[in-house]
Amino acid sequence: MLVFEIVFTGLLMGIFYALMALGLTLIFGILKIVNFAHGELFMLGAYAYAVLVLRAGMAAVPALLSAVLLGALAGVVVERLLLRPLYTGQVGAGPLRDEYAIIVTFGLSLFLINLVHQLMGPYPLKGPDLTATSRIEVFGMFVSPHRLLASALGALTLGAVIWIIRGTVWGKRVQAVAQNRFGAAIVGIDHTRVSTLVLAMSGGIVALSGALLAPLFHAYPDVGAFPAVKSFVVVVLGGMGSIAGSIVGGLLLGVLENFGAIYLSYEYRDTFGFVILMLVLLLRPHGLFGERTREV
Amino acid sequence: MSRLDLLEIRELRKSFGGIVAVDQLGLVVGAGELVGLIGPNGSGKTTLLNVITGYYPPEHGTVQLHGREIGGRSPHQIFRAGIVRMFQHVKIFRRLTASENLEVAGRAAGLPAGSSRQRAASLLDRLGLASHTHDEVGGLSGGQQKLVEFGSCFMSEPKLVVLDEPFAAIHPTVKQTMVDVIVERHTAGQAFLVVSHDIPAIMRLCPRTVCMNAGTVIADGPTEAVMADHAVVEAYLGGHVAR
Amino acid sequence: MRRLALSPTDFVLSFGVLIGLGLAPLGVRSEYWLGILITAVYFAMLAVSWNLLAGIAGLFSMAPAAFAMVGAYTTGLLHHHGGFGPLVGIPAAVVVSALIGFALGRVTLRLRGAYLALTTLAFAEILRLVIANSIEITRGDLGLSVSGILGGAKIPTLYLFLGVLVAYQLVLVWLLRTRAGLYFRAIRDDELGAMGRGVDVVRYKTLAFTVSSAGCGLAGALFVHFLQLASPEMGLILQTGLVISMVVIGGMGTATGPLVGAVLVEVTSEALRAVGVRHMLVFALVVILIGRFFRDGLVGLVARLARGPLPAAAPPAALEEGAARR
Repeated sequence: MLVFEIVFTGLLMGIFYALMALGLTLIFGILKIVNFAHGELFMLGAYAYAVLVLRAGMAAVPALLSAVLLGALAGVVVERLLLRPLYTGQVGAGPLRDEYAIIVTFGLSLFLINLVHQLMGPYPLKGPDLTATSRIEVFGMFVSPHRLLASALGALTLGAVIWIIRGTVWGKRVQAVAQNRFGAAIVGIDHTRVSTLVLAMSGGIVALSGALLAPLFHAYPDVGAFPAVKSFVVVVLGGMGSIAGSIVGGLLLGVLENFGAIYLSYEYRDTFGFVILMLVLLLRPHGLFGERTREV
Repeated sequence: MSRLDLLEIRELRKSFGGIVAVDQLGLVVGAGELVGLIGPNGSGKTTLLNVITGYYPPEHGTVQLHGREIGGRSPHQIFRAGIVRMFQHVKIFRRLTASENLEVAGRAAGLPAGSSRQRAASLLDRLGLASHTHDEVGGLSGGQQKLVEFGSCFMSEPKLVVLDEPFAAIHPTVKQTMVDVIVERHTAGQAFLVVSHDIPAIMRLCPRTVCMNAGTVIADGPTEAVMADHAVVEAYLGGHVAR
Repeated sequence: MRRLALSPTDFVLSFGVLIGLGLAPLGVRSEYWLGILITAVYFAMLAVSWNLLAGIAGLFSMAPAAFAMVGAYTTGLLHHHGGFGPLVGIPAAVVVSALIGFALGRVTLRLRGAYLALTTLAFAEILRLVIANSIEITRGDLGLSVSGILGGAKIPTLYLFLGVLVAYQLVLVWLLRTRAGLYFRAIRDDELGAMGRGVDVVRYKTLAFTVSSAGCGLAGALFVHFLQLASPEMGLILQTGLVISMVVIGGMGTATGPLVGAVLVEVTSEALRAVGVRHMLVFALVVILIGRFFRDGLVGLVARLARGPLPAAAPPAALEEGAARR
C-alpha cells in the first residue's frame, strides 16, 4: 500500500516534471540550445498566479489562464530579442553559438530572479489552492484535491501538446524545423514564425506548471531553480529533443525522487536530481532516447 | 608486405549500431604515392578516413603505418605518427590568426616557436595568403579558410596527407593553388590519399585510384582503368563518368 | 584586422590595471573601501582563473565559486578540527582544489557546451549542499570561524592579495606564451580539429581544469582568512554568476577583461547597494546586452573605438547547413 502511494504521488509530481521537460526539449529541438532561464519562466507563472489572485482579486481560473498567457508572451519576447540571432547566423557556429546561448540565457535567468526580487521582495507568496477542500480520500490515501486537479490539468496539457506536435499540420512544421531548419525554409515553412510559436508554447506550459504548483511551492524569486534542474535531468535522461523521453523521464523522476525521499534521505531529496544528472551526463552523454549526430 | 608500403589496411570493419559502414576493406598505400579514392555517397569513404585518422576505432581488422599498428590510437597520436588530414567541412580555429592556425600543427609536431612561425609564414606565402598572416581566419572567405586548413597539413612533414573532398565548393583559383601544391609536394616524395567526387581532377592528378562502394573496395588500380571499370560505372548509377 | 585579445597590448594593459590597483591605497583611506578593494581582488583571482578555463580554453564551467568554497573549507576545516594555521591550510587548499579540479576535468572530457555547463552546475550544487548539510563537520550554515592573517590590517592584506593576483597574471601570461596557450584556444575553437592537428586534448583540457580550480581554491582560502568565516554561501551559483558577469562584462578571453570586470563590478555593486538597487539586476542586464551586442566586452569595445570606425567583420552566414552540426 505504501509503495502504491509513493508511486501515485510520485506520478502526480512527475507530470509537472514532464511538462517542464517538454518545454525545455521543444526549445532544444528548435534552437539546439539549453535554456538556462527555464526555471524563471516557471517562477513568472507562479508569481503571476499568486499576484493576480491575492493582489488583484482575480478568480483562480482566469488567473491561471493569465499566467499561461504571460508565460507565452515572455517566450515570444525572449525569442524575438535574444534567441533569434542563433539562427540568423549572427552568432557564428559551434562553440561560439553555444557560448552565446549559455551567456544570454544564464544572464536572463539572473536578471529575472533579481528583477522579481527587487519588485516583489524575497518573501514567498502562497498562491491559493484551486479548491476549498483540503483533503479527499482517493484509493485509500489522503491527497489534497488541489494536487489531483493540478496534475489532471497538467496531464491534459501534456496530451494537448503531444497531439499538436504529432497530429496537426502545424506540428509537422515544428518537426521539420527541428530536423532541418534550412530544409524547412526551402520548402516554404516560415521557420521564424514556427520558432516564435514554439517558444510561446514552451513559455506557456512552463508558466502553467509554475502557476499550478504555486500553492505547493509558493512564489519566491528562486522557486524555479530546482524545477529547472529537474527538467534538465529529465531532458538529459530522456534525450534532448525527444518528446517521449521527456514524458517518460519526467514521470520516472517523480517516482524515483519520492522513493529516494522516503527510503534514502528526505533532507537530500533535491540532491538526487543533481546526482542523477551528473551520472547520466558522464555515463551516457546522449541520454537514453536521444539521437547521436555525426561530428566529423 | 613490402618495405615501401606506407599504409596497410586489412579486413577493416566498422559499423554504427546496425549499419555496417566499412566491411572487408583492404588497402595499401605505398611511400610517395598519390592515390585517389572515389565512390558514391554512403560508400564509407569518410568513415574509412575517420578510422585511419583515429576518430573511430576499428571494430575488426588492422591499420598499419610502416608496419606499426595505429588502429584505435587517438587522432593526435596518429598525427604524431605521421598522418595528417583535411576535413570535408572545414575545421579551423576561427579566433586564431592564419599563422596561429598553422603554428598549432607546427608546435604539435615538435617545432620550436620561432621555426614554427617561419614555416607558417612561408607556407602562407606559397598559398597566396601572406597578407592575411595575422588576420583571424573567421573573417576570411570559405576558400581562404580551406587553404589555411590545407596549409596546416604541411607543417609537420607528414608521411601521408589525407584530403577529404578538398576541391568541394571552392573557387577555381583556390583549387588550382591546391593542385599545384599537391603536385609540387608529390614530386618531392609526399604521399597523398585524395578523396573526391571531382572525377576530372582525380583523373588529372592521381596515377592510381581506388573505388569504394557499400563499405568495401570494388576497384583498385591505374586511374584510367578504374574509371572505365564496369563495376565502378554501375556504382555511380548510370555512369556519368566522363572522359 | 589585428585583434586585441591576448596581444602584447592586452598584457600590458592588464598590468596597468594591476599597477592602478596597487596605487589605490594612496587615494583610498576608508577601511570600508579598502575592504571592498580586497573583495574586488578576490573576485579578480576567481575571474582570471575562470577566464582561463572558459574564455581561453572554451570550457564553460559553472563551478568557480564551488572551488573557492572547497579551498575555503579545506583551510577552515584544518583550522577548526586540527588547529592548523594558514601556512598549512592555504597550500592544502590549493592541493585539494587542484585534485578535485583534475578529477572533474577527467570525468567531463566528452562533454561540451551546455552539457558541460549543466554537469559542472550539478557538481557545484552537490558540493555546496553536502557542505551545508554536513552540520557535524562543517557547522553548516552557521559557518566555520577561521583565523585571521596579518592581524586583520587592511592595507597589508590588500597588498598580499594583489601580490597573489600579480602572480596569477604572470602565470597566465607565461602559460599563454607556451604551446599551451595555442592549444587551449585551438581546443576552444574546434576540439576535434585540434585533435587532428596533434593536440593532446585530454591532457590540455585536464590541465586547464586543474590550474583553474587551483586558482579558485587559493583565492577562496585567502579570502576566508580575511573574512575569518567560511560559509557555504561562498559556493552559491549566484556567486558563480557574479564571476561570470565580471568576465563577460570585462571581456571574455582577454587578459585585461577579468581584471577590469572584477573591479568595475565590485565597486559598482557598492554604489548600487547604496541606492537600494540589487546589483545583480544591473549586472545581469549588462551581461545580456554585452552577450547580445558587444561580444568582446568592455575591453573589446574600447579596442574597437580606439581603432576608429571600421567596417563590420565578415558578413553573417545565414542558416549555413554545414556549420550547423549538432
